[in-house]
Amino acid sequence: MSLALSRCLCRVLSRQAMPSSSLYGEHHHLVQSPWFAPVMTLKTSAPLRAEPKKKKKVDPRREQMLRERLKKKLKKLEKVPPELIPIEDFITPTKCLDETRERTAPRLSFEESEGRALLLKEWCRYKQKQHMAEVEAVELALEAQREALEELKLESEELYRAALKPDPLLIPFVHEGPAYTPAIPNYDAPDGKYNDITKVYTQ
Amino acid sequence: MAAPCGRMASRPLLQFLSRFSRSPVGNTGFRQFSSATVCRAASQINEAAERANSPWTLMAAVCLQRLPVISADCSPIEQQFKQMLHQIELEKSVLSDHELRLLEDAEKMSRKQVDDYDSDEEDSHGDKEIMMAQDLEDIWEQKMKNFQPALRVRADVDKDLTSAERCLADSLVLLAEQEVGDEKLWLLPQTRWQEGETLRQTAERALTSLPAAGFKATFLGNAPCGVYKYKLPKAIRTENSIGTKVFFFKAILADGAPPKTKKAPFLWVKKSELQKYLKPAYMMKVERFILDL
Repeated sequence: MSLALSRCLCRVLSRQAMPSSSLYGEHHHLVQSPWFAPVMTLKTSAPLRAEPKKKKKVDPRREQMLRERLKKKLKKLEKVPPELIPIEDFITPTKCLDETRERTAPRLSFEESEGRALLLKEWCRYKQKQHMAEVEAVELALEAQREALEELKLESEELYRAALKPDPLLIPFVHEGPAYTPAIPNYDAPDGKYNDITKVYTQ
Repeated sequence: MAAPCGRMASRPLLQFLSRFSRSPVGNTGFRQFSSATVCRAASQINEAAERANSPWTLMAAVCLQRLPVISADCSPIEQQFKQMLHQIELEKSVLSDHELRLLEDAEKMSRKQVDDYDSDEEDSHGDKEIMMAQDLEDIWEQKMKNFQPALRVRADVDKDLTSAERCLADSLVLLAEQEVGDEKLWLLPQTRWQEGETLRQTAERALTSLPAAGFKATFLGNAPCGVYKYKLPKAIRTENSIGTKVFFFKAILADGAPPKTKKAPFLWVKKSELQKYLKPAYMMKVERFILDL
């Protein structure tokens, strides 16, 4: 402490810059200003101690990339294919495979099996004739319509264009198909109660 | 289609041109606009001229069909095939719950009749097992007998040609007796076309203008399904009218047949009966689009 004091005093006196009275007045508590720092503390001075901040530009980007990769992995794990809804018609219920339910298969006579085969062939021919008749009828109707449109075109373009426009009121067209017996007029059908046990699947 | 496109193209062009400059381009703009209107007017005049020149008078007729109400009877081969299929299905099938129950009940009955029968061996159901499967069948039969369905075929109604309820298994077409020229003919209801309406509207008018009509019909589309043209006899033919073209439109009778009024000049006929009422040339054209499938 006394050595430092003496050194300070010497420096001050040699320089003759500062007024000695202020230092003398306050020599018991030394003002350690940065300009008058002792030589021993040179290496650890404040400006030398302050390290400049290293701006790591790569780090935030690297963190982002890591996060993205993790998210992608999570998404891949979560991508489970949705469970397929079972088609109940294609699954034979085990009740039907029960052995106790089998019928005794009757033995068919030769004539009967022959008769069945011949009937099948006749049916085939009958259905084919029916189909060809239907196709022919439809073709005739189309031909008739084509002729009608041609004649209309010869008559007047405006009416022809009006005829070609589609009719938006026609669709949807609803018509009750034929039943086995005709409807009874003013028939009061009895209410039927039922419990709906259909299974509803959600995906 | 050309005229409206031209009109639509000329308007934005006009705006575009007017925005840029007035005097030098304005004239061309006006020229384009006027040419579009001239085009439209020309086409309309042409169409009117065409119609005025055409020597054919236009008429529209409606082919109103009542579709079948009950299923048709099976032909002999169809019946045979139906029976055979039913038998094959029965042979290939498995016993149902009801049949199993019948068998079990039959077995129980036979066991009860045996003398050394111990009822304690059976599963004790108490009072529950009273209803046998056979009893259930009897109850069902009784219920079936209580219900009386309507008759499929009624011979008296079938013979009445003016009723729309005849021959429920076939599709029927409406015929009306109308005056054509000097004679009264049976044909599909028709009426003359007037200016300013489409042919379909004419057909609708033909249907509603029938006396005591009240038919509710759904017309199938705007296009005609057939055409019949005939030339007037040479004596009446003039330069302006050679003959008539009749365009047919198909319609389906909606539910709810109208109340029958006597002396209404209508007939509901099947396709096979059409020949008795229509003239041969007319019949040839009409039977093509009336499908009897």
